[in-house]
Amino acid sequence: MANTNKVLEAKNISKSFGPVQALDKVNFDLNKGEIHGLLGENGAGKSTLMNVLYGLYNEDEGEIYIKGEKVKFNSPIDSIKKGIGMIHQSSTLVPEFTALENLILGTEGSKLNLELGEAKEEILKLQKDFGLQFPLDTKVKELPAGVQKKVEIIRAIYRGANILILDEPTTSLVEKEFEQLLDSLKKMVQNGVTIVFITHKIKEVLKACDRASVLTGGVMQGTVDTEDVTKEDLVKLMFQNQEINITESAIPIIDIPEVEKSKEPILSLKNVSAKSKEKDGTNLDSISFDIYGGEILGIAGISGNGQKELAEVLIDPNNITEGEIILKGKKVNGLTTNQIFKRNVFYIPEDRKNESILGLGDIKDNVLLGHQREDQFQQNGIVKWNKVKKETKEIIDEYEVKTPDEEQQIGKLSGGNIQRVVIGRALINDLDLLVTHSPTAGLDMASVEFVFNRLVDLRSKNTAVLYINEDLDELMEVSDRIGVIHEGKLVDIFTQDQYDKYEIGAKMIGG
Amino acid sequence: MAGQEQVIQEDSRGQEIWNNVKPYVLALLIAFGISGVIIGLLGYNIPKAYQTLILTSFSSRRGIIETLKKFIPLTFATYAFAIPFRIKFFNIGGWGQMLFGGTITAVVGIGLSGFNIPSVIFIPILILTAMVAGAAFAFLAGFLKAYYNINPIISTIMLNFIAFYFVNFVATTNPWKAPQTGHPMTLKLPEAALFPKVFGQIHLGIIVVLIAIIAVYYLMNKTVLGYEIKATGYNPDASSVYGIKMKKTLIFTFLIAGAMGGLGGGIEVMGVHSRLIEGFALTSGAQYGIFGILTALICQGKPLGVPLSAMFISILLVGADAMQRTLQVPVELVFLTQAIIVLLIVVLRRQAGGGYIE
Repeated sequence: MANTNKVLEAKNISKSFGPVQALDKVNFDLNKGEIHGLLGENGAGKSTLMNVLYGLYNEDEGEIYIKGEKVKFNSPIDSIKKGIGMIHQSSTLVPEFTALENLILGTEGSKLNLELGEAKEEILKLQKDFGLQFPLDTKVKELPAGVQKKVEIIRAIYRGANILILDEPTTSLVEKEFEQLLDSLKKMVQNGVTIVFITHKIKEVLKACDRASVLTGGVMQGTVDTEDVTKEDLVKLMFQNQEINITESAIPIIDIPEVEKSKEPILSLKNVSAKSKEKDGTNLDSISFDIYGGEILGIAGISGNGQKELAEVLIDPNNITEGEIILKGKKVNGLTTNQIFKRNVFYIPEDRKNESILGLGDIKDNVLLGHQREDQFQQNGIVKWNKVKKETKEIIDEYEVKTPDEEQQIGKLSGGNIQRVVIGRALINDLDLLVTHSPTAGLDMASVEFVFNRLVDLRSKNTAVLYINEDLDELMEVSDRIGVIHEGKLVDIFTQDQYDKYEIGAKMIGG
Repeated sequence: MAGQEQVIQEDSRGQEIWNNVKPYVLALLIAFGISGVIIGLLGYNIPKAYQTLILTSFSSRRGIIETLKKFIPLTFATYAFAIPFRIKFFNIGGWGQMLFGGTITAVVGIGLSGFNIPSVIFIPILILTAMVAGAAFAFLAGFLKAYYNINPIISTIMLNFIAFYFVNFVATTNPWKAPQTGHPMTLKLPEAALFPKVFGQIHLGIIVVLIAIIAVYYLMNKTVLGYEIKATGYNPDASSVYGIKMKKTLIFTFLIAGAMGGLGGGIEVMGVHSRLIEGFALTSGAQYGIFGILTALICQGKPLGVPLSAMFISILLVGADAMQRTLQVPVELVFLTQAIIVLLIVVLRRQAGGGYIE
């Protein structure tokens, strides 16, 4: 325990959830003033390990030392006192409060009278020191996701954190924002803050971190100095036994064949405006584009800029206020979802748990969803359950869904297996158009590869694929063209020879 | 990781049956335990009380018939709650739908009395009448929710009052009211409109309820509509994304629920009272609507659980009546027991990670 350079040491940490061993005797340590990358696939245990260090989960076994002193955290209150701050993947700010109110919420000065003046000065200084500028008096809900991240970082530092855990901080950031964030982190490190940077992207680790630890399936594979290793070394650590070729952005390398595009567009939008179904959603503003058969059109944009509304207006063109949608030469304004689906269109929504599946239903219930009015699955209003069962079994076999049988409750399957069912369901009929929104979110590498290969297969079969995603790296890997959506407008469309992360990123944030 | 998942699924499959049954077993044991203590504290003979409560239904032919006579309307009242409950809407109006269905049945039955319609036609007409009346009455609540976003809990409670006073109106107004009676009631329905006795002493309603049980099961499990109701109950957002219209499904569940409630009321008129009589949809001093809600909550609204659950409550109600008659144990005690059972089942199922109640 003499090594004072170690600000944090975790020894033999194990944690299980029911029968799932999320962490298995994991060792982890932090040197003072480093940026330490924690690398691993989705579900590898990265967040679990950090939640243990933050006191959100109690470890089953193992010991934690802060600056050589053994500690036991029962809740984040304990860990915050010891100078640990954590920025979670999803925002923990109060949307209705201003940034300043969020920052002082729950701190000593905020008990009865809000002594904002004093706090404000201190916060302004922190902002200046670390280059994390944002307006203090704007309501958080009006700030973009990237800025909210800054608010959370300042909040942690303001509360005295000197060990800062960032859980996948780059998910909703464009390239430029990532670099700004990196600058700020480096300034913090110079001021004695130690940072844990959780990510699944090897490139980010190599660029941002001094050291990196790799977790696979709850087991720590090792810690390395990033100066001494190459991308390939990290890939080897991350994917022990799998034969997967991936890019630096941790995306499987997909073989994309030449396909001749259809002569006429499958889908054309002409100045389509539509009102969002949600209260604070983004309205679509005069969107025009064509998709051809045999083409994957990517749609890039920061979350909440009208992507969901765009997907929904295509499968439910009821709430178009202006313009027209032409599907295979015919105007489809005003048709119902069932009528659209009958024209060989299908949809894979973004929110797998809440919009894609009936979590409480079994697999066959889910396979039928969206097809329930098709003649192949019903006659005179009676469901042909035998046919549904047969189709379900075929999907389970063909897409290698790991499940005991077709009666298994789908909510109990892993994300990758659920997505296999969802994709199988979408591909029951030959499609002219597939609309899919972030189909790879939260999946492990093998499943991401599976999803990409299905999209590319569809493209080879002359289907038009509208592929909405926030992750620019993924979009650039498989899309023939990328359109950028910002505040409900389609601001630009890039062809493959024009792909540039900075330029597309700039358009995404309205530049 | 993949291997581990496989194991979890195998385990949970093996445990599933016990996990499903356990809350019920525990709830029953605890509820009977608590009511036993209360019976004891009130100074009654505990074993005797239990014996009466549970065994009266089986101890005589009369007991069986009494149980079935409660079982029939209770099953319909339970469906009235259970079906909208599948998509998490609360139809508190089962009672009102029974009253309205019964009232319209009486009105139509008396109105057609001059036409000498034979039983084989008259009874089906009145069955249909009861169903349509109940469905129309429940439609109001479904429609108000679908198009004006008015909470069905409120609208159905209000409609209950309307139905209650509508019974009084019909039972005290010419040409329907019976002359020279103290209690508000209508004239008797023509003989051809009344249910004959089957299986000895129980009225035709027992056949009707059996058909209804099969029909509801078929509807919910085999038809596209049933699938859409089930899907909406599982996840309304995903269902709506994939083309299932919430408004339509909602209105359908209220129509089916109302038809069930209305039929329950009509059967009471045709099978038990032979006329509309104020307070006809009551049992053991409380209205069937409330018992229907309790019964549906016990079985979580599952179509095949409804008759089982209704039979169980009917047995307790007959037992409770007998307990009050012979041991002077207040009948309210059985309401208490039921309430404890329902609460425990909800809590225990929640703990087991299941259940529809959010």
